[in-house]
Amino acid sequence: MSDIRATDRGVWRVVAMRDFWVRLRDKGFMISTCITLAVISLFILVRAYGGAGTPSYELGIAVGDPQASAMVFAPTDVTAVIAQVQAAARARGAEVTVAEVSLPSVGQDQLRDGSLDAVLAADDTLTGRSDIPAALRQIVQDALVRDRIAAALEAEGASPAEVDAVLNRPAVEFRTVEPRDPNRETNSAVAFVGILLLYGQLFGYGVWVATGVIEEKSSRVVEILLSAIRPRQLMAGKIAGIGLLGIVQLAFIAGFALALAAVTGALDLPATALGAAGLVLVWFVLGFAFYASVFAVAGSLVSRMEELQNVLVPINLVILASFFISIGALQDPDSTLAIVASLLPFSAALAMPVRIVLGAATPLQVALSVTLLVGSTLLLIPLAGRLYSGAVLRTGARVKLRDAWRAAS
Amino acid sequence: MLELIGLRRSFDDVVALDDVTFSVPEGAIVGFVGPNGAGKTTAMRIALGVLAPDAGEVRWQGKPVDAIARRRFGYMPEERGLYPKMKVREQLVYLARLHGLPADHAARRADEIVETMGVQERAGDRVESLSLGNQQRVQLAAALVHEPDALVLDEPFSGLDPVGVDVLAGVLRRQAQNHGVPVVFSSHQLDLVERICDAVALIDHGRIVASGTIDELRGSRARRLLRVEVSGAVDGWYDALPGVTLESEANGGVVLLLEEGVDEQRVLDLARASGDVLHFTRVRPSLAELFREVVSA
Repeated sequence: MSDIRATDRGVWRVVAMRDFWVRLRDKGFMISTCITLAVISLFILVRAYGGAGTPSYELGIAVGDPQASAMVFAPTDVTAVIAQVQAAARARGAEVTVAEVSLPSVGQDQLRDGSLDAVLAADDTLTGRSDIPAALRQIVQDALVRDRIAAALEAEGASPAEVDAVLNRPAVEFRTVEPRDPNRETNSAVAFVGILLLYGQLFGYGVWVATGVIEEKSSRVVEILLSAIRPRQLMAGKIAGIGLLGIVQLAFIAGFALALAAVTGALDLPATALGAAGLVLVWFVLGFAFYASVFAVAGSLVSRMEELQNVLVPINLVILASFFISIGALQDPDSTLAIVASLLPFSAALAMPVRIVLGAATPLQVALSVTLLVGSTLLLIPLAGRLYSGAVLRTGARVKLRDAWRAAS
Repeated sequence: MLELIGLRRSFDDVVALDDVTFSVPEGAIVGFVGPNGAGKTTAMRIALGVLAPDAGEVRWQGKPVDAIARRRFGYMPEERGLYPKMKVREQLVYLARLHGLPADHAARRADEIVETMGVQERAGDRVESLSLGNQQRVQLAAALVHEPDALVLDEPFSGLDPVGVDVLAGVLRRQAQNHGVPVVFSSHQLDLVERICDAVALIDHGRIVASGTIDELRGSRARRLLRVEVSGAVDGWYDALPGVTLESEANGGVVLLLEEGVDEQRVLDLARASGDVLHFTRVRPSLAELFREVVSA
């Protein structure tokens, strides 16, 4: 039989391709991909369309005969009030459209149907439907104060130019002692999405490796597999196949997010976002290589899915702690905690990309972090391979690490 | 030839295998029999490299077996296992590829083996949706799909219906006779072992207590028994011959135990002298009887 291979060196690829395709066709995978895409779309769309731009309000002002009601402004006074409302809105970076309302309803219907945000009456009351936006309350307050000051100054004989100089003095100039990153806000948003993706991907795919190992143990197919190939080949193939799926999914999600952001204009810095997507992919590969063999060992120690949670707790805590440190690093990427976390192998994959996107990591730190991570991965894999080999054929009770170590040759 | 030489293995304080040695020649079918817990599964797992021996070695074609050689073995473990959610054919192609077959060859072999095992209609179904009997057939297909150089099967016949038993027996015979594959399988169905196997290895408490062809076992172990039916003879007609004692009485005849050196023809002469001989045969002990005799000894 000439076409039967005399070596088994490439057999891990056969394992990897099975693990890749079986999961790619899995319904759960499709669903989780769709959920991730939906969450990211929401984030991008909110940034693109929600909350952005100048806030604008609709304000009603009660106008009528002051003899009839204390609530209404005299038509002769209302022009000045409107002018002050709009000046106050400009000063606060908002836009207020004013509509005159009259007795007897003084705009109650418009308040109820939402076409007015609030109605200002001459007796210094501001009426809303169930609440009034804080910014609008502030603007109205400012406007009434300005109106009094202007009236007082005019009574003292000040000219309109003098009144204007008092009320509209230029805004205080804003400076920093260190150079300010004009893209800081956008970068933080990109880094935040990046961490979320990395955390979800590293943990999710790590758990997938562990459940894949348990699936083979609990169905007992592992004994057949290991009569054909070696434990390390099985472990390597499983990690490679699942990792490849993780990369493909990440690339797909990142491509989708970048395209959506470009179309909607949510990001004004496509180059930064593209760079961040590349970073997420690279750090996923580095981080997954580090964590995956640990997840594989965790899976090999138990025989049933129900027991998986127990062995995952320590790994889960480490990854979760790294995640929260990285979220903290968004605010302060140069804190000691953030720097240390970005260098240590077990947290670097989450903490370092944040600091790189925010421009806080020095090239030396990046080099050190990558060296430590790759180095410890290379140390970890043979250890994990041995533990996995020693544990994967033992069914029943949870295998102790020490026994797994001794059982392996 | 597949050889197990001096295998020893303990689990904690329990000795599972104690110097187990036997061989399976090319083209021979060897039945591996013994009581529950005697060490059959442990020996087979060691042969496949799934378990490491404390001492001893497994040799294939005269050389210590390595991973490359083992890859060409076919194995059916005691605890059956397949991917429950994978389709039958897909799974067989995958296993064939793990055993080193290229993709197209693996696909061809998977199609052949599902047909041989009579599960071709279920080839597109998930394993978990099959009946236990059909799962067993797929399990056997998994051991055979890569045209193995040697076959090690742990209880391959258990769970098969009579048709399945015949199919498998035929497959094993073809593997051995046409392809020269050494086949060893364990079983408690001793009549089956007697029918199919060229030789047996009998294990008890981790030791091989007997091995060889079934006739050799009979020759070395079994007592010589004759069943004789004589019409018109008085009770105890055989007492006249020294070295002949009554073993049992059945159906109007007697079963006589002959000591060593007693000539069967002398018994026949005496029987003819005592009356009309209606029946005179050697009692050939079945494998089951040999088994009981050896194991209780």
